[in-house]
Amino acid sequence: MSSTEQGTSSAAPAEPTTAPESAAAPEVPESFYYVHGKDKVVHKVSAGALQHSALIHGMISNLGYTEEQAKANPFPFENIDGDILQMVVDWCNQHKGKPTPPEDTNLPKQKEKLFDLVLAVNYLEIKELLTYCCKQVAMMVKGKSPEEIREIWMIPTDAEDEAAEKEAKKRAGKEAAGETAAAAGDAK
Amino acid sequence: MPFPILRTRPEVLSEIISLLEPNEIVTASFCSKNVKRLLKGYYKQSEPLEWRLFMTNYDAMGGVSIETSKDGGQKTVIAAKHISVLKGRELEDTNGFLRGFSQEHPVLYFNDRVLGTKLIVDYVTDLFNLDVHGLIIDINGIWAIDWIHNRREKTLESFEFYMNHKYNSNADEALDYVLRNTHVSHYCAIGDNVSDDFKFDGKLGPMKQLYISSKGHWVTCDNLKNFDCRDIGIQGSRLSVQDLNSFLRHWRAGGSSRMEWLHLNFEEHTFQEKFDEDLEVVKTDEERVYRSSCDGWERVFNGGYSIQRADGAKAMIQCNLGRFVMAVWH
Repeated sequence: MSSTEQGTSSAAPAEPTTAPESAAAPEVPESFYYVHGKDKVVHKVSAGALQHSALIHGMISNLGYTEEQAKANPFPFENIDGDILQMVVDWCNQHKGKPTPPEDTNLPKQKEKLFDLVLAVNYLEIKELLTYCCKQVAMMVKGKSPEEIREIWMIPTDAEDEAAEKEAKKRAGKEAAGETAAAAGDAK
Repeated sequence: MPFPILRTRPEVLSEIISLLEPNEIVTASFCSKNVKRLLKGYYKQSEPLEWRLFMTNYDAMGGVSIETSKDGGQKTVIAAKHISVLKGRELEDTNGFLRGFSQEHPVLYFNDRVLGTKLIVDYVTDLFNLDVHGLIIDINGIWAIDWIHNRREKTLESFEFYMNHKYNSNADEALDYVLRNTHVSHYCAIGDNVSDDFKFDGKLGPMKQLYISSKGHWVTCDNLKNFDCRDIGIQGSRLSVQDLNSFLRHWRAGGSSRMEWLHLNFEEHTFQEKFDEDLEVVKTDEERVYRSSCDGWERVFNGGYSIQRADGAKAMIQCNLGRFVMAVWH
């Protein structure tokens, strides 16, 4: 589990506490990288844990950073909320170097965060965690009627879809008319 | 806590859809036209499904069930019932359907249940881009045989015709129609209440498995010779040892050449193993394993009788007062 501390996106972060090492220390010293989300809290994560993320793994595989360079250049994920990134980092640490089980009991429990977590996990390309999250989403509608599913998955009714479509058309029409008027004005 | 599924990226949506059970997909398709379009698009673009879709018309209810490769069990995904079963209970009209929800699947109510059953079959086959694999009916579902044959280009893979204890009617006419008009390539199960006088003079097959699950008294020796099936099972058989001697003679001469397995359970437990000498049936202690080419199940033969065909194919027979089992090794 990594510890976190407040940092800034522009300045190098202060020394974060390190993640605990496993009992059997690896022969080759493990390299660490640094990530932060929207809240600028920097997380120190081992390259092993970050391997779960195809996106970050791709980013670091070509960098060849030294520890100092990595510290000075944390990966910024401004589109991910700090608490969500914390969940992702925790999960990556918990599953570092382990085969992922078919059912994961270490999934973040906060259901209200599931949507943001899915967005983040998909963005970071963490395949196994995405599958677990999607399983939770699928489980939500087990045994539910269409009306209940509509509510759980926030699906608009046909009438709402039609109204939204009409509104979009109206807006597009107005915008087109505005552009035509502006173009006519320019011509004068 | 709600999850705004339509705001997720397409790859996430695909992942979620892939994790849903068929009945959940059908239920979700009733959420809105937009969702139905989305689900239909997913199955149109995805790899062909290994699911098997069954149309059922049993117990005054039409239905569609799907067997996934997960556990081999069938699960109903939608049902059609006659509007009268609502007994005055009012349901909201949703997109032209009176729809309820029961036991994890939608139920649609129609004034014309046959039409409704056709409609739900069309709905599900269209949604999953999947054709009907099998038909399961009772005496009131005979209409479905012609309908299904007319809408399919290929022969039906599976067909099951079962007795419904709610209807004590004699099924002679219905079974005759079934036997003459059902074309099936893999599995055919028959079990309805036919009279003692019922006779069938036609042929059955070619198909992989034929199982007469009850009231198999009508199967004569000539019928047996005319069944072009790999695997035959008959419950309630009245075939005699003379009949089976005649059948074995036919088999030795090259008849029923595709047959690999024959299992008869007799109505009366009076069968006496008395094989004619010319058949060269010999007692054996041989142990041999028979493995079904249809579904892979195995049966160990610990001795019994052995018999050989003119072309060299060998078979083993085990029998007692109540049953006769014959396995052929080609």
